Amino acid sequence: VNGFGTLRRLGVLALNRRNARYTLGRNPRRLYPLVDDKLRTKALLEEHGLPAPALYFRIDHNFEIPKIRQIETFKDFVVKPARGAEGRGILVIADREGDRWKKSSGEVLTTADIEYHVSNILAGLYSLGGIDDRAFVEYRVRCHAALAKHAFRGVPDVRVILYRGVPVMSMLRLPTRGSDGRANLHQGAVGCGLDMARGETTGGVLKDRWIGRHPDTGLPVAGIRIPFWKDILATAVRTYDVFGLGYMGADFVVDHLLGPLILELNARPGLNIQLANHKGLLPVLDAVDARGRGVEHFSAAERLELALNLVR
Amino acid sequence: MNRRVYFLAAGLVLVAAGVSSFKYVRGGMKISPEASRNLWRVNVSMEIAGKGERAKVRLTLPRDTERQTVYNEHFENAGLTFYVRERPLTGNRIGFWRSELLEGSRTLQYACSVQLKGLAFAFPGDALRPVNALEAYPPEFHTWLNPSDFIQSESAPIQRSLKKVVGRERRIGPAVRKIFDFVRGDVKYRSERGSKDALATLARLEADCGGKARLFAALSRAAGIPSRLVGGIILKDGVKSVTHVWAENYIAGRWIPFDVVNDHYAAIPHDYLELYRGDYALIKHTGLKKFGYFFVIGRERMPPVDYPWSLYGLPIHFQSTIKVLLLIPVGALVVALFRSVVGVPTFGTFAPILLALAFREISLGVGLLCLGIILFCGWLLRALLDRLKILVIPRLSIIVTTVVILVLVMMVVGFRLGEEKMLFISLFPFIILTWTIERFSVLEIEDGLQAALRALGGTTVVAVAAFYLMAWNALRVALFTSPELLLVVMAALLLLGRYTGIRVTELVRFREFVRLGKGGPG
Repeated sequence: VNGFGTLRRLGVLALNRRNARYTLGRNPRRLYPLVDDKLRTKALLEEHGLPAPALYFRIDHNFEIPKIRQIETFKDFVVKPARGAEGRGILVIADREGDRWKKSSGEVLTTADIEYHVSNILAGLYSLGGIDDRAFVEYRVRCHAALAKHAFRGVPDVRVILYRGVPVMSMLRLPTRGSDGRANLHQGAVGCGLDMARGETTGGVLKDRWIGRHPDTGLPVAGIRIPFWKDILATAVRTYDVFGLGYMGADFVVDHLLGPLILELNARPGLNIQLANHKGLLPVLDAVDARGRGVEHFSAAERLELALNLVR
Repeated sequence: MNRRVYFLAAGLVLVAAGVSSFKYVRGGMKISPEASRNLWRVNVSMEIAGKGERAKVRLTLPRDTERQTVYNEHFENAGLTFYVRERPLTGNRIGFWRSELLEGSRTLQYACSVQLKGLAFAFPGDALRPVNALEAYPPEFHTWLNPSDFIQSESAPIQRSLKKVVGRERRIGPAVRKIFDFVRGDVKYRSERGSKDALATLARLEADCGGKARLFAALSRAAGIPSRLVGGIILKDGVKSVTHVWAENYIAGRWIPFDVVNDHYAAIPHDYLELYRGDYALIKHTGLKKFGYFFVIGRERMPPVDYPWSLYGLPIHFQSTIKVLLLIPVGALVVALFRSVVGVPTFGTFAPILLALAFREISLGVGLLCLGIILFCGWLLRALLDRLKILVIPRLSIIVTTVVILVLVMMVVGFRLGEEKMLFISLFPFIILTWTIERFSVLEIEDGLQAALRALGGTTVVAVAAFYLMAWNALRVALFTSPELLLVVMAALLLLGRYTGIRVTELVRFREFVRLGKGGPG
């Protein structure tokens, strides 16, 4: 009868507490731009030798739009807004046919269409609050074969929540027909909880309902092994040293050639990861806090060790 | 960190309580028990019904005099424009309610608290009546010496009566006494509809308070003593609509009251509330189909506080703006409660408050209807504009422009169809409604139609809740009397800011967990 009591007993982290204790309490305001602006994120990742999709070139102003002609030398690429949130404004070109471009959905575009898309990005069509934005063109990730078959179009990604630099929970996000190739849970992607020790999915959630199978592929959502899982965790732990956000989500993709790449970082990661994992975040967050004040100053390897101990 | 917030909140509540009790104690100590018996609360209620044209109601309001102190004034203008003017000669304070186009019934109210004193005068009566009064007194007294429409002091019957009553008495004191005794004794009291003038009273020797006061004033003026009528109410617990009229004569440098009806010679009892001076009417109105009024009179417990920082010290016609201002934090509290505790999504923090304020102006039903129509049209338009691939800011501006055109069309069509009141919908609610659709569109672009509709529903629900709380009269009066209550609101907001509990809507979001918790692990 008492739903509040149940949620509290299961240690479910709710929005008010996340905002007050974790995002406001652990993430200094001045660090937000580092992760809200994907170009700055990329530059920092590159500077510290963390893997990310290669930046081809960027377009900051309208008069630079002719730079887009450089795409003539590519076969496939992705156009992104620097400040777009939740996968908005991302244009994935999978192939070229003569002087035309083919989107991953099969739609064919001309170079002029792509220029129009870039000018929309610059005008802030996809940025939060409609402020002016910048666009960039980067390497198109092609998904590792082990994961590709589980997604309906789009690229699945792995989100790792880091609390004070310690990975505390993670999930695999599978795009669906409903999410239109995007990997955001509230847009309809499937979230699969991960066994942190083994890198294997344990179950899944669609919207706020637990499911056994992917709605489009029909494959079970449990038992999917994440390739290069140990590398993903090790990289995630190192991002904390670079960005310093105490409560952060790191999104990884696994490229078929390059392995794990950091796609973006998030200073306000969502709460549905708890539904995907069928368990609340609070017990493990409290366990990290129980290690005392010095957790942040542990070395990356020690924090990784701690994470694996916590889930064991 | 938690504890600091609690301390701060407790501190704010303490400051508010301190300010309140300081005001109470300071006000209470200044008042003697005798005076506190003469505290009254007077409420004038006017029921009016317009006939669809320009309407105006004027009511003379009490003012401070040496024997009466007016405080804690309050008015309800029911959508009419209210303003106060002071008349130069009499010093009367007149409140006007006006509307360019009044339809339907309204209730106008004026309420105030008064502290009254009874006074008795002793005046030297030996001074002689001037032979030529107009020369003896400065020009501002000529109004009170010359005859007027109903006080015909120069007519032959009055002059004859004066000779008979006063005779050869030259001294002011005995002359006034003789006039007073004549009007009190020889004119019978009889209540009637519409008071007689001085001549008719003299002819019939029968009149109500107005007629008797006019005769007294006419005889006094004929005798060369400045004299004027005073109107007011005799205060008594309960409901009444009877007013009273008495007279004042200017003797030995001051105005001295005389009430021939209740036999108060050079005295005024403590329950007489003075409302106006001169031979005027308490209430006048034009453009009304129906008009009725009554007074509700009761005892007041709070004495006038000599507190210069009170909001009541501001001009009364500015007070309605302040009342709206005071409601905004209350609305913000409602929004914060709904968002942090219940988890209702809204368009930002201010949209629900502003919507609630708009509803206050154009009524809840009309407001919701307008919101629905405008949002639907705007959404339809946005869907069309989407195909043209236009940038966000120009696109939103086009929507706003269209809403303005829509409003203009509604006004013109309404006017042609004879619905003139369409023209008088105030601008403010429309600006708010238009702005709401912008927020709606932005959210639709960012999070999709479903999220936008959810936020719209949430905004409407919160706005309606805020509307009802804002309409709660006791709360408005309390906030106006004690604006320090805003500190309590702030304390509540501080505590809400530290609320880390689970929102009600999260029960739905995490319902799988709730089910898991009930069914045991599995």
